[in-house]
Amino acid sequence: MKLYNESDHGTPAKKATSEVKLSVDGRVVSVPAGTSVMRAAAIAGIGVPKLCATESLEAFGSCRMCLVEIEGRNGTPASCTTPAAEGMVVHTQNERLKKLRRGVMELYISDHPLDCLTCSANGDCELQDMAGAVGLREVRYGYDGENHLKAKKDESNPYFTFDPSKCIVCSRCVRACDETQGTLALTIQGRGFGSTVSASQNQSFLESECVSCGACIKACPTATLMEKSVIDIGLPEHSVITTCAYCGVGCTFKAEMRGEEVVRMVPFDDGKANQGHSCVKGRFAWGYTTHKERVLKPMIRAKVTDPWQEVSWERAITHAASEIRRLQEAHGRGAVGGITSSRCTNEETFLVQKLVRAAFGNNNVDTCARVCHSPTGYGLKTTFGTSAGTQDFESVEHADVIMVIGANPTDGHPVFASRMKRRLRAGAKLIVIDPRRIDLVRTPHVEASHHLALQPGTNVAVLTGLAHVIVSEGLANEAFIRERCDFDEYLQWAEFVKRPEYSPEAVEKVSGVPAETLRGAARLYASGGNGAIYYGLGVTEHSQGSTAVMAIANLAMATGNLGRPGVGVNPLRGQNNVQGSCDMGSFPHELVGYRHVSDAAVRAIFDKAWGVKVDPEPGLRISNMIDSALEGSFKGIYIQGEDILQSDPNTKHIAAGLGAMECVIVHDLFLNETASYAHVFLPGSTFLEKDGTFTNAERRIQLVRKVMTPRNGYADWEITQLLSNALGYPMHYAHPSEIMDEIARTTPTFTGVSFDKLDRLGSIQWPCNDRAPEGTPVMHVGSFVRGKGRFVLTEFVPTDEKTGPRFPLLLTTGRILTQYNVGAQTRRTANEVWHPEDRLEIHPFDAEERGVKDGDWVKLASRSGETTLRAQVTDRVAPGVVYTTFHHPSTQANVVTSEYADWATSCPEYKVTAVQVSPTREPAEWQTQYARMSADQRKLAEPSK
Amino acid sequence: MSASAAYDEKLVYMANQIARNFSIHGEEKAVASTLDHIRMFWDPRMRARILDHLRAGGVGLEPTTRRALELLSLAATE
Amino acid sequence: MKLFVSGDAVARALGADELAAGLASDAASRGFTVVRPGSRGLCSAEPLVEVETAAGRVAYGPVFEEDLASLRPVLFDGGEHPKRLGKLEDHPFLKKQTRLTFERCGLSDPGSLADYRSHGGLVGLAKASEMTPSAIVEFVTQSGLRGRGGAGFPAGIKWKTTLEAPGARKFVVCNADEGDSGTFADRMLMEGDPFLLIEGMLITARAIGAGRGYIYLRSEYPDAIRVLGHALDIARAEKLLGPSFDIELRIGAGSYVCGEETALLESIEGRRGQVRAKPPLPAHHGLFGCPTAVNNVLTLAAVPYILANGAEAYARHGLGRSRGTMPIQLAGNLKNTGLFEAPFGMSLGELVHEIGGGSASGRPIRSVQVGGPLGAYFPPALFDTPFDYEAFSQRGGLIGHGGVVAFDDTVDMLKQARFAMEFCAVESCGKCTPCRIGSVRGVETIDRIAAGDRRNENLTVLTDLCETLKYGSLCALGGFVPYPVMSALEHFKEDFQSPRPAASRAAKRNP
Repeated sequence: MKLYNESDHGTPAKKATSEVKLSVDGRVVSVPAGTSVMRAAAIAGIGVPKLCATESLEAFGSCRMCLVEIEGRNGTPASCTTPAAEGMVVHTQNERLKKLRRGVMELYISDHPLDCLTCSANGDCELQDMAGAVGLREVRYGYDGENHLKAKKDESNPYFTFDPSKCIVCSRCVRACDETQGTLALTIQGRGFGSTVSASQNQSFLESECVSCGACIKACPTATLMEKSVIDIGLPEHSVITTCAYCGVGCTFKAEMRGEEVVRMVPFDDGKANQGHSCVKGRFAWGYTTHKERVLKPMIRAKVTDPWQEVSWERAITHAASEIRRLQEAHGRGAVGGITSSRCTNEETFLVQKLVRAAFGNNNVDTCARVCHSPTGYGLKTTFGTSAGTQDFESVEHADVIMVIGANPTDGHPVFASRMKRRLRAGAKLIVIDPRRIDLVRTPHVEASHHLALQPGTNVAVLTGLAHVIVSEGLANEAFIRERCDFDEYLQWAEFVKRPEYSPEAVEKVSGVPAETLRGAARLYASGGNGAIYYGLGVTEHSQGSTAVMAIANLAMATGNLGRPGVGVNPLRGQNNVQGSCDMGSFPHELVGYRHVSDAAVRAIFDKAWGVKVDPEPGLRISNMIDSALEGSFKGIYIQGEDILQSDPNTKHIAAGLGAMECVIVHDLFLNETASYAHVFLPGSTFLEKDGTFTNAERRIQLVRKVMTPRNGYADWEITQLLSNALGYPMHYAHPSEIMDEIARTTPTFTGVSFDKLDRLGSIQWPCNDRAPEGTPVMHVGSFVRGKGRFVLTEFVPTDEKTGPRFPLLLTTGRILTQYNVGAQTRRTANEVWHPEDRLEIHPFDAEERGVKDGDWVKLASRSGETTLRAQVTDRVAPGVVYTTFHHPSTQANVVTSEYADWATSCPEYKVTAVQVSPTREPAEWQTQYARMSADQRKLAEPSK
Repeated sequence: MSASAAYDEKLVYMANQIARNFSIHGEEKAVASTLDHIRMFWDPRMRARILDHLRAGGVGLEPTTRRALELLSLAATE
Repeated sequence: MKLFVSGDAVARALGADELAAGLASDAASRGFTVVRPGSRGLCSAEPLVEVETAAGRVAYGPVFEEDLASLRPVLFDGGEHPKRLGKLEDHPFLKKQTRLTFERCGLSDPGSLADYRSHGGLVGLAKASEMTPSAIVEFVTQSGLRGRGGAGFPAGIKWKTTLEAPGARKFVVCNADEGDSGTFADRMLMEGDPFLLIEGMLITARAIGAGRGYIYLRSEYPDAIRVLGHALDIARAEKLLGPSFDIELRIGAGSYVCGEETALLESIEGRRGQVRAKPPLPAHHGLFGCPTAVNNVLTLAAVPYILANGAEAYARHGLGRSRGTMPIQLAGNLKNTGLFEAPFGMSLGELVHEIGGGSASGRPIRSVQVGGPLGAYFPPALFDTPFDYEAFSQRGGLIGHGGVVAFDDTVDMLKQARFAMEFCAVESCGKCTPCRIGSVRGVETIDRIAAGDRRNENLTVLTDLCETLKYGSLCALGGFVPYPVMSALEHFKEDFQSPRPAASRAAKRNP
C-alpha cells in the first residue's frame, strides 16, 4: 500500500438545504449552497493553487494564490472565500491569473531559505508544490532584502521542531489550534513583515499552553512545524490505517512507515471518531513499542523471590499449562481464572474468556472495566437494556446543553473534548458537576453556566436533587415518558424525588452545592433544548456508582433526552477497548453480548460452538479472586494486559492475594508491578504488531492493522491460542477475522460484523445485524432495547468512608492528558517531560494550615496506608478536598485508597478516601520497600542450562 | 482478626450493602432483589461461604439481608 | 454674552488654552462666559477668538500671547485690531462653503446639549422617531449619501442590507479611526459638534434595528476622546442614550489598518487588528457575528440634516452620482488650509488655487495627492478634474476621505512613491502576502531604482509588483498602494530617471 493522501478540497464541506450549479473552466458542477468556489472546483476535478486553505479549517483568504476570475464580477477574487453561486462562470487559469500567482509566489520565495534538497519537507512541501504549479523561474527581488532566514528554531517540544525561518505566515497552525483543538495556544505576534507565529506569550512551545496535539504540524504546509522523527528518518513510503491504542475515543491513524519502521503516526481525516485530529499520546507517544525495557522473551521462575529465567516459547507455554492443570487437579476447577485486557483487541479478549470458559472450564474471568465502568454496564442495562452509551460522538454537534459529570474530557478524551468545545464555542451551554474545577469549566471561549463543585461521595444526592427540581417545577417531558417508559414507575419515582431530603436546600447541606446553582443547572438541562450527559469515572468509582448511573438515566428519561442525535447518556469509556472487552463477555456473570450465564438458551449456543458445557454459575470478580486466594481456594491466574497491583485499590491486599497464589501468569509488554508476583511472564505485542479490532466509546468497531512483525514473536491472540492448545483445548484460528466471524455467529448484536465489512465501511457501530446491517449510530430510537425505559429509585446512601479528626480531608483521583492510566506506555516515552511525577493538589487554606508550600513533600495517609508525594497548592480543589493522579507506580496512590466499592458491581470507590496530609521529609515505608523489591524484580537469572 | 474472619466480614458487608441499596423499594422487594443479585453475581464459593456464616449465627447480617440469605439457603437445598 | 476661544486640537497646539486662561478674568469681570467651541475650519486663523456683540460674532485670529496686551482693550466691543477678521462668514474661505454637516461646528458649545438643541439639533432624530426603519432607510437612499470614509458605498443600500439581515442583535459602528495623513474632518467634527455624531448614530440605530453602538476612535486623538466622551456622558444623563440604545467609546492603539472596517471590528472584539475576508459582509456577519453597519463619522454626521430637511435638500447639491456635500480637507503646502465643505463638482484646480490660495511657499504647485497616503498624485494637467467619485476614478485617482495635500516643485516624487510603499509596510496587518512582503520589496526596489541599479528592469519589477498588489491584496491598504506609486511613475517619470533631477533639486534646497 502506498502513502495514503486524503484529498484536500481547500475549505470545509457545507451542509445546506439547497444546491447551486456553476461552471468551472467549462465543467458544470453542483454543490451545496455556501460551498466555496475553490471546493466546487476541486469537486469538479480542478485544483486551484492554494497555500493558506486546507479542508479542515475555515477559509482565511491570506495567501492570495487561489485567485480566479468570475464572469460579471470585477477583479480577481480569492476562490476560497468566495461562495459559489447559481449560474456562476469561473475561470481558474488565464494570463492575468498566471502572472498574479507567479507574482505572489515570487514574494514568498524572496523570503524563504533555498535549501529544498536538505530540508525535512523535501517531497512533502506545499510551498514547493505551488512554486512548481505556478511555474516560478526567477525571483527578481534577489535575496539580499529583508528576510527571516536567521530566525531561531524552537526544539523544546520532545516531538516536533518549530523553525520560523521557513514560515510563510499562512496562519494554518494558529487556526488549527483555534478551530480543531480549541486550546488557542498560538497566535501571530507583531504585524506586517514582522508577523511571526508565537506560542502563548512568545514562549517556547514546551513552556506555552500548547498541549502537543500535533494539529498545527499536520496543518503546516512547509517544514516550519515538523515531526522530529521525520527530520531524523526522512519521509515515509507507505501507510497503514489503524486505530489508536490509548483512550476510548479510538482515533484512526495512518501509520506512515518506511519498511517496518514507523516514521510518524498521522491522524486520518476520514476517521469517524477523530476526523483528522489526535492528541499527544496517539500522535507521538508510540515509542514505547521499541523501548529497551520491553520484554521480548518468555520467562519463568519457581518462586517470586527468584530471578527470572529466559526460556523458549514452548517451554513457557507448556509450563504454564501444566501448572494450571496441576492446580485445578489439586484445588478444583474453579481454582484458576483469567483477567482480560481492555487494551487488547476484541478477538484477543474473546479468546481469553473462551480460554477460561472452555479450557479452564469455569467463569472466573474479569476485566479492568470492573474498576472503571462496570456500574455503567449494570446501571444502563437495568434502565435501558444496553450496557453502553446511547449516542455517537457526532451527536454532540446537535446538543444545546451539555452536562459533564465526573469526567475531565480535555485530559481523558482530548479529541472528543475538542469536538465538544467547538460546539460550546458555537453557543451550547455547559454544566459541570465535579469537585474540582476542571479545565473545561473555564477555557478559551468556553465557560460553564454552572459548576456544581460537590463534595466527593455525594453524587446521588445531587443527581436526585436535580430530579427533584425538574419534577417539582413541572419540567418533566410527560409525553415522552408516557410513550417510552412505564408511567406508573415514573409516578412512583416522581413522588420519591420530590421528598424534602432531595430539595436543593437539603442537598446543599450534604454536598456543598448552593441551592440556587442546583436549581439553575436542573432548569437549564430540562428546558435548554437538546440535553446531553457525558460522564466518567467520577460517577462510577463510588460505593453508589451504579445508583448514580441509574440516576443519570432517570434524568434523561424524565426530560425526554433520548432516542435522537444531540441528547443521550454518554459514558466516556476510558481505554481503547474497554467497551469491547465488556462486549466480549469478560465479566464473570456474562457471555458475549451481555447475556447472563444462567440463560440456558445462550449457554446452548456456546456449548455447541465450543464443544463444552459452559458453567451456569457466575464466576469470581477480580476482588473476589484476591479474597479467594487469601482464603486458599484460588491458586492460579492468567492476566493479559492488566496491572492489577498498580491500578486496583488497596495495594497491600492485592499484593497479599497475589502472593498467596501459586501460578501467576502475566502476559504483558513490560515487567509491571503485578509481574513482581508472577511465575510466568509471556511477552505481549503492541497494537502496531497485530490485526484485530477495537471498540471505542461510541460502540464503534474499528480495524487495527499490523504494521510490523511482532518483536516478541507472536500477536497476543496467537499466544492465548498456544496456551489453549497446550491445555488440551484446540484453537486453530489462522487470522483474527475468523475469531470475529465466530463472534458474529454467536452474538445477535454482532451478526453483521466482519472484517470485510469493516474494511468496506471503515467502522461499524454495534448493534449490527439484519435490522441494522450497517450498524447503529444512535440507540433507543423509537423504543428502548428493553422495551420501556425503567425509572429506578435512587436513594442516597452516604459512603461508609467517613472523614474524622484523624482523616479530615477527602481524596479524589483523576487523569492527566500526557500520561495514560498506570503509565506503562507513556512513562516510556518523552511524555515524561510533562508529568514526571504525580502531585497532590491541595487548596491554599488546607496547605497553609499544615505548613505546606507548593512543591513540598507531603505524607498522604488513610486508614488503608500511606504514601508520599509532592504538593501542588491550587484553588482548583475546594477546601477539604485533595486530588492526585495515579500514573507513576512510585506514588503508590492505591496504597491509600479504601476497600469500599460499588454495591452492585464492586467497582472500587477510588474517588472518596478520607485522608490526612502532613509535611514529611522521607518516603513512606511501603514506598521504600516497594522500590527495593521492584529493583530486585528487574534482575534476570543467569542463562538457564 | 484472622484472614478468614476478615473475609466473612467482607462478605457480610457486601451483602448488607446490597440490601441497604434496595431498601428504598420496601422490605419485600428488597429481600427479593437482594436474593436475585447475589444469585446473579456471586460465585458459588462466595454464596456457600456466606450461607455457612448464616448457619453459624450470621453475625452482622441485617434483617433484610438475613431473610434474603435464608431464602437463598432454601433454594440451595432444593 | 459669550467669548469663544477655539478648543480644537489645532488651536490648542498653538496656545489656545493659554489664551483662554489669559482672557478668563477679563471675560468674567465683564460678564462674559468663555466657551471652547470646535474649529470653524480655517487653520490660518487659529487660534481663533470670537466675541458676541450686538452686531453679531466678531472674529480675531490668529491670536497669540503677544497679541493679548493690545487685544484686551478692544476685544469685548469687537473693536479694531490688526488681527480682527470681522464676521467670519464673510471670509472668502467660509463664504464659498455649503456647510450642511459642519453648520454648527465652531459655533456651538460642544459640551452642552441645550446649546446643540438651540442650534437646531435633534430635529432629525425627532422626525426619524416617527418613521419606520425602512422609511428612514429609503430616505437616506434617496439622498444619495455615499460612505464618506473612502469607499463611497451608498449608505442607504448598506443600511437596507443590515436591516434585512436576520439576527436578534444588531450594531452600528462609527469608524472614527481617521488615519489618512492630511485628514482631520472627523476630528474637527467630533471636537466641535459631538452631539451631531450621536444623533446620527441614534437615527442609524433606529433604521437598522441596532440596540448598541460603538465608536472606534483612534488613540492619537486625545482631544476628541475627551470631548466626545464628555458628550456621551451628557447624552446618557439626559436620557438621549439609555437601555434601548447606548454607545460605547472604544479607543484604538495606533494601527492605520484598523480603519479598515473588518480589522476595526476585530479590534473591538479584542482580537488582532487583522483584516477579515469578505464575504461575509459586516452587514450580514459583523461585530460578534451580528449584522453591523459600519460607517464613517462624516457619513453618520450627514444623516440628521437629511432627516431634518429632507432627502432632496441634500441630493440637490452635487452632480452625477456624487450627491450632497463633501467636507474637503485642504492640507500640505497651501496658504489656506482647513476644512472646506462644498457640494461635489468643484475642480481640483479651483480648490488648490482659489480656495487654498496656492502654495504657502510661493513656489509653483507640482503635485496634489487626493484621498490620503494611498491616493493618486495628480499633476497640474489633471487639475480640471471635478471633485466627484467617478470623475476621479476615471482618471486613475480617488477621492477617499476627502483629504487634499499639495506639494510644490521641490517635491521628489520618487521619494513620495517610496513613502507609499514604506507606509504600507509599516501599517500592514501582515495577513496577506502581497502587502506583507510586497510592501517591503517595494521599498527595496524603489531604492534600487533611486541608486540607478538596473533601473529599467526594476521599473518593470515595480510595475509588476503594483499589479500583484492591486489585484491580489486582501484589502485596500495593499490594494491601493499602486495608486500613489503608479501615478508618480506615470505623471512624474522624470523623477525616476538616472541621474535624478529631484535629487539634485533637493541638494540645492538643503546644501
